[in-house]
Amino acid sequence: MASHGLDYDGCNFFRQRLVLSTLSGKRVKIRNIRSKDDNPGLRDFEASFIRLLDKVTNGSRIEINQTGAVLFYQPGLLYGGSIEHDCNLQRSIGYYLEALLMLAPFMKNPLKATLRGITNDPTDPTVDRLKSTVLPLMKKFGIEGEGFDLKVMKRGMAPGGGGEVVFTCPVRKTIRPVQLTDSGKIKRIRGVAYSVRVSPQMGNRIVESARGVLNQFIPDIYIHTDHMKGANSGKSPGFGLTLVAETLEGCFLSAEMSSTPQGQGDPVLPEDLGRNCAKLLLEEVYRGGCVDSSNQSLALLLMTLGQQDVSKLLLGPLSPYTIEFLRHIRDFFQIMFKIEVRKPLEDERKGGDKVLMTCVGVGYSNLNKSLK
Amino acid sequence: MDGSVKEQRKHQQKHSGPKAERKKLKKQGNSTEKDERKRNPKAFGVQSAVRMAKTFHRAQDIKTKKHHIPLVDRTPLEPPPVVIVVVGPPKVGKSTLIRCLIKNFTRQKLGDICGPVTIVSGKKRRLTFMECNNDINTMIDLAKVADLVLMLIDASFGFEMETFEFLNICQVHGFPRIMGVLTHLDSFKNNKTLRKTKKTLKHRFWTEVYQGAKLFYLSGMVYGEYQTQEVKNLGRFISVMKFRPLVWQTSHPYLLVDRMEDLTDPEKIRTDLKCDRRVSLYGYLRGTYLKNKSQIHIPGVGDFQVAEVNFLPDPCPLPGAQKKRALNEKERLLYAPMAGVGGVVYDKDAVYIDLPACHAQQVQEEIRPSTELVQSLIDTHATLDAKMAASKVTLFSGSATLDSADVNVQSSENEGHMEERIWDPISHRERRKVIFTEEADDDKGDASDSSENEDSDIEESDAEEQEDTNENGAGGMRETSDHGGPTVKKRKLEEEKDVTGAVAELPVFADSEDDLEMSEEEGDAGRAADSGHCSEEDEDEEESADEEMDDDDDDDDDDLSKEEEEGTAQTAVKKTASESEEEVQEELGALRWKDRLQQKASEAFLRQQEAMPNLRKLVYGSADSKEEEDGEDVDEELGGLFRVNRPQKSRRFQANALDCSHFNPDSSHNWDLEEMLDSIKDCFVTGKWEEDQDAATLLKEHDEMYGDFEDLETGEVHKGAIEAQDQSQNNESDEDGDAEEAPTTADDDDVQKNKRLDKKRRLKERFDAEYDDGDATYFDDLKEEMQKQAELNRAEFEDLDDETRVQYEGFRPGMYVRLEIPSLPCEFVANFDPRYPIIIGGLGSNEGSAGYLQMRLKKHRWYNRILKTRDPLILSLGWRRFQTIPLYHIEDHNGRHRLLKYTPQHMHCGASIWGPITPQGTGFLALQTVAGINANFRIAATGVVLDLDKSVTVVKKLKLIGYPYKIFKNTCFIKGMFNTVLEVAKFEGAAVRTVSGVRGQIKKALSTPPGSYRATFEDKLLMSDIVFLRSWCTVSVPQLYNPVTSLLLPVGQKDSWSGMRTLGQLKHDLGIRNKPNPDSLYKPVVRTEAHFNPLHIPKELQKSLPYKSKPKQQQRKGKRPRDMQRPSVIREPHERKVAALLQALSTVHNYNTKKAHAVQHAKHKEFLRQKEKDEEAKLKRQKEARKNLYRIMGQKDQKKQKSSLKGTPKD
Repeated sequence: MASHGLDYDGCNFFRQRLVLSTLSGKRVKIRNIRSKDDNPGLRDFEASFIRLLDKVTNGSRIEINQTGAVLFYQPGLLYGGSIEHDCNLQRSIGYYLEALLMLAPFMKNPLKATLRGITNDPTDPTVDRLKSTVLPLMKKFGIEGEGFDLKVMKRGMAPGGGGEVVFTCPVRKTIRPVQLTDSGKIKRIRGVAYSVRVSPQMGNRIVESARGVLNQFIPDIYIHTDHMKGANSGKSPGFGLTLVAETLEGCFLSAEMSSTPQGQGDPVLPEDLGRNCAKLLLEEVYRGGCVDSSNQSLALLLMTLGQQDVSKLLLGPLSPYTIEFLRHIRDFFQIMFKIEVRKPLEDERKGGDKVLMTCVGVGYSNLNKSLK
Repeated sequence: MDGSVKEQRKHQQKHSGPKAERKKLKKQGNSTEKDERKRNPKAFGVQSAVRMAKTFHRAQDIKTKKHHIPLVDRTPLEPPPVVIVVVGPPKVGKSTLIRCLIKNFTRQKLGDICGPVTIVSGKKRRLTFMECNNDINTMIDLAKVADLVLMLIDASFGFEMETFEFLNICQVHGFPRIMGVLTHLDSFKNNKTLRKTKKTLKHRFWTEVYQGAKLFYLSGMVYGEYQTQEVKNLGRFISVMKFRPLVWQTSHPYLLVDRMEDLTDPEKIRTDLKCDRRVSLYGYLRGTYLKNKSQIHIPGVGDFQVAEVNFLPDPCPLPGAQKKRALNEKERLLYAPMAGVGGVVYDKDAVYIDLPACHAQQVQEEIRPSTELVQSLIDTHATLDAKMAASKVTLFSGSATLDSADVNVQSSENEGHMEERIWDPISHRERRKVIFTEEADDDKGDASDSSENEDSDIEESDAEEQEDTNENGAGGMRETSDHGGPTVKKRKLEEEKDVTGAVAELPVFADSEDDLEMSEEEGDAGRAADSGHCSEEDEDEEESADEEMDDDDDDDDDDLSKEEEEGTAQTAVKKTASESEEEVQEELGALRWKDRLQQKASEAFLRQQEAMPNLRKLVYGSADSKEEEDGEDVDEELGGLFRVNRPQKSRRFQANALDCSHFNPDSSHNWDLEEMLDSIKDCFVTGKWEEDQDAATLLKEHDEMYGDFEDLETGEVHKGAIEAQDQSQNNESDEDGDAEEAPTTADDDDVQKNKRLDKKRRLKERFDAEYDDGDATYFDDLKEEMQKQAELNRAEFEDLDDETRVQYEGFRPGMYVRLEIPSLPCEFVANFDPRYPIIIGGLGSNEGSAGYLQMRLKKHRWYNRILKTRDPLILSLGWRRFQTIPLYHIEDHNGRHRLLKYTPQHMHCGASIWGPITPQGTGFLALQTVAGINANFRIAATGVVLDLDKSVTVVKKLKLIGYPYKIFKNTCFIKGMFNTVLEVAKFEGAAVRTVSGVRGQIKKALSTPPGSYRATFEDKLLMSDIVFLRSWCTVSVPQLYNPVTSLLLPVGQKDSWSGMRTLGQLKHDLGIRNKPNPDSLYKPVVRTEAHFNPLHIPKELQKSLPYKSKPKQQQRKGKRPRDMQRPSVIREPHERKVAALLQALSTVHNYNTKKAHAVQHAKHKEFLRQKEKDEEAKLKRQKEARKNLYRIMGQKDQKKQKSSLKGTPKD
């Protein structure tokens, strides 16, 4: 059958390509993966990601050449079920989970994934952030019901890891179109200040400083301090803060910050971390939109995979990751988004420019779900 | 029955009495009686709660049953023509009917009907007629695209197999509207038989379609045509008919191709007659949106990828909006290019004027290579410049080829033009200016010309548009000549700018050849970065020149002076071609830097307004990625010798950078500053609210709802509604008053009017909401939601022009599109037969790949044999027709799929095939052969897809047999089941069984003989026992997917496709007889007579036996001697009489005794009953007495107890 593939260069946006390939059924070939590098080819965390993909699919064909600089991926069907995966310690669980979140609703069997590794690190979105922002976001697209959950069983900081997360997701046949053009006003701010293998006082210090910044806007702030001990505390010390602002319309904007991993760079003071994280949240609020900057791509993907109806979504400025994602969506699904800039009015004090994304879904239906 | 009914008495109207009075009152209308329900509440009261609940339940059930799941209405505003397929057995009058209908609608006579014929039938409806021949392939294909089926039935003959086959195909692939048409009714001479036939046919038709399906009667022929009035009636029915949306059709785009052109290079055909052809196919898009470059399937040919899709002007448009009732002659259009009608045919870049005579022959001729030169001249589908553009020149071997894109990107007229049209989102007016600039180029910056252009805005745009659509070739050519020089320079100029890095952050629409813009852009860069949209992404350096050209007209408000400057700038560039461009740039920049500050400010504002295309281009680029890459190559090449190896930078992200979704802008805001904090104040609930959501406004609105009222206690008059609004209005205007003067009264009126209307609408909405909320159900809500979505879908892209819209939505149904397919097999063109429909079915995103399908299948009850596993079967599934090898299976209780050798006779079974991934729930039908005409019913099975997977588990039972060779108590050594120790090791612990049912377990392998093992059993085995091990082994599904390529067969043999033969056919054809196992043959049963020896008891034993068991030494009785025999008595006549009398007497006596006994028995019975009764009465009496006694005793006891209780306190 005349199924055709796509070619890409370089290992950037690796996850996007493989995820979209899996969803669209188009095979993909990625060349020149770090070909000019001293250490060419795929890194361990990417290999681990491919292994995870292999676990959730059935019939995928993956070919990697000897140097690891060329990857060929022919997707199979998403199978789901109960899987366990030890994520590589070079990246945190968030790296793997972001991709899994995109795939999970389209499996044959409801997914129950147990991921082990680093739960919180500064490079990737932490599991706390995903838990507090992505789940409500996906609910807006009709992915909900019992068994839609993300549980942090153990917390593991970089570089040692040792955390464990259980993600369960039901399957859906179709995705609902959404009209999220008004983000509403922020009614409350919640957060988690976590600390493992350090003094429990760290959490309180973070909370104190973060509140100091945020209190000038809204009084309804509650930051939970989460200090895990013993077996649940992973292998490395560290602390961090995740802040989530909830609006009246049920949109969630989040910001987060983790302490630098042990032995990598300068240590940070919890007060600084709290204050900076609060400022990051303000930055996020300034950007605005109905979806925060790190989840833009997921929201856009779900819009693309919706039924053949118009979906609208108001976003803050597009992140580079999202821009590339949009291009990939065009490659894989031939979907283009109508992008309109919403300038703030003269006397309006609601942060920067917003972008209104509009698209017609491809009418994707979950081919993996069996009919009984 | 009517006759037997007795005539009933007539009703006597009452003229007096209370009834009459009551009636009179009622008639007068002032009934003094109360409402029935109130007057007689008992009659209407609840008799039984259960019954009432039941009634309610039932009513509710009936109501709910009527509901269908509401779906979003996605029908396009201008729908494609309705596909009417005319089906029927041969010689039933299909072509005649189509001809009559076409004549009825268009007043035109069509001789030969080939291919689809599209006509305009009314103000809102177009029809496409297609005749379906009796090839089952055609029937299957057309059933998938039909909206309405006219099913012709020869009434003089009755139903034929074709009719039922077609109905079955329809049932499987979604049931379109079906209208039966009975023809040949004039052959009935007898009126009664005619009526009877009609009735029987009608009822049979109803059972097949639905009760009350429309059946049309065409009585007789007049001059070889059906009667005008009847055809007219049929036409009316067709033109008002409503159609049901079918799931498959609404979820897939598809085309019924009505035109085909071969675009292959004639030279290529000359060199290789069998080369793959580049073909363009035309038709109305139906179903749903079609995306460019999507996967399609052409039934009968195969899977392809579309190279290019364009939409063309509608060849058969609906008449414009007007009020008159009927269509005039001009609007009754007919379009049938395959039948040689249609006159003028528009292509993407050409207009074909069809001369009458023989269109079909022309098509044939095109293929013939004999008159090559002339033919190539006539048939070149690409103009010379296009060919020039396509040709490539290599300057040095090894270096990249230089094509004309190098010289001018815009020159490749087909692509370049389309690109321009597709990727340019700006409106007509802006586009007009592209050409204007070119013209300015032409005229060397003629200012007056430009001003003229500016004035004659609208006419120009129209003209340009026409030019665009009709004269693309010419236009492209002119552009080529115009742009050849400057573009290169422009690009160079731009490169240099990039090198300097000053303009790294240029927004895309920047007018790069205008230096003033440049300088201004520099100033703007900071702002752009601030907004965050283009902070990371630098302007693309390979942005090709034509985009720039497009871009500069974004600033559509350029005033005259600007135009002039542009012109001069360009001339300057041209003049100084030999000089270094940097100098020019600097010079110009320095000259005009200061004097246009205000204008620049206004432009900046406009740019802000038009940030949309900017961001869009930022994300999607301006042309195809391929195009961009080409441009890149060109850019990096210096003289074809050296390549510039620039480090990757700017817009293209680092190919090997960190893959992370975090968005950390480098220029983060300083959140310690007060104004930054202030800028997001309103994002929180504590901030300022919008006018319409503000608590104060809401309160005010609440007041408005209730209008004015006067507080009687205080005497204060509360104003509501308009006055309040007025006041607020005044207040607002007062507030704003400082900045701007009070608006004019006219404005004020307008504003007020709008406000009033707005308020009215709001009030109405609120009322509606309240009113409807009473009985709003989940269903209503859902329906409303769908309705809203449908409205949004319609409204969202309505105001965009088609070129832009197509990019966002894809090509929408109803458009007339042209699909270009690059590699169709040459047989498709060579053996093209317009009588066979060409259907282009779009495939979903995952439907292009193959995998295992699990289906539920049932042999058709009219198919006269069952199907065998692994016999190839032709399936029609989705758009496809293909041959595959199914495995039949059935699901056991534990979910195991057990292989079946044959399909069950009257039951569903599972089937697993290797085939194209098709969504679950899609129906399919199976045929054993598609070749020729078969007397029997051809549809072998039908079913539905249940599950898709990349692996499959069908198992079959495997019994391994072994024999014991050594038996201990419960342990046995068993041989013959396995061959090696390893095999045994794999089965250690497995359960085994003997035929007689003794269970056991495999323990351990033995070293000799190989494959033998030790097993234990629950009982001792016999040497004659057979031990078996029951296991399941998976069966692999053969991976055969063989598309039925019926359209590629030569003309006239298209119905003779044959694929893989079944086992039975193979054996038949090769003359192979099955040699059965001789052991399995039945033989006559031969039973030997059983012979039993006499029982011999040893003498010793006999002695010890008891007498009873001892064998008796009995002699056989001999014959009695004659003397011992008694003589028989012979009576005398008298004696005989006496005996007879005695006999009679005894009989009488016997009878009497018997009677007496019966009487006695009855008496006794009566007596017994009486006795029992008495006994019962006695018992009852006794019981009563006892009861009395006990009561008294109890009372006594109680008294005693009471007294004792009383007694105790005393004590």
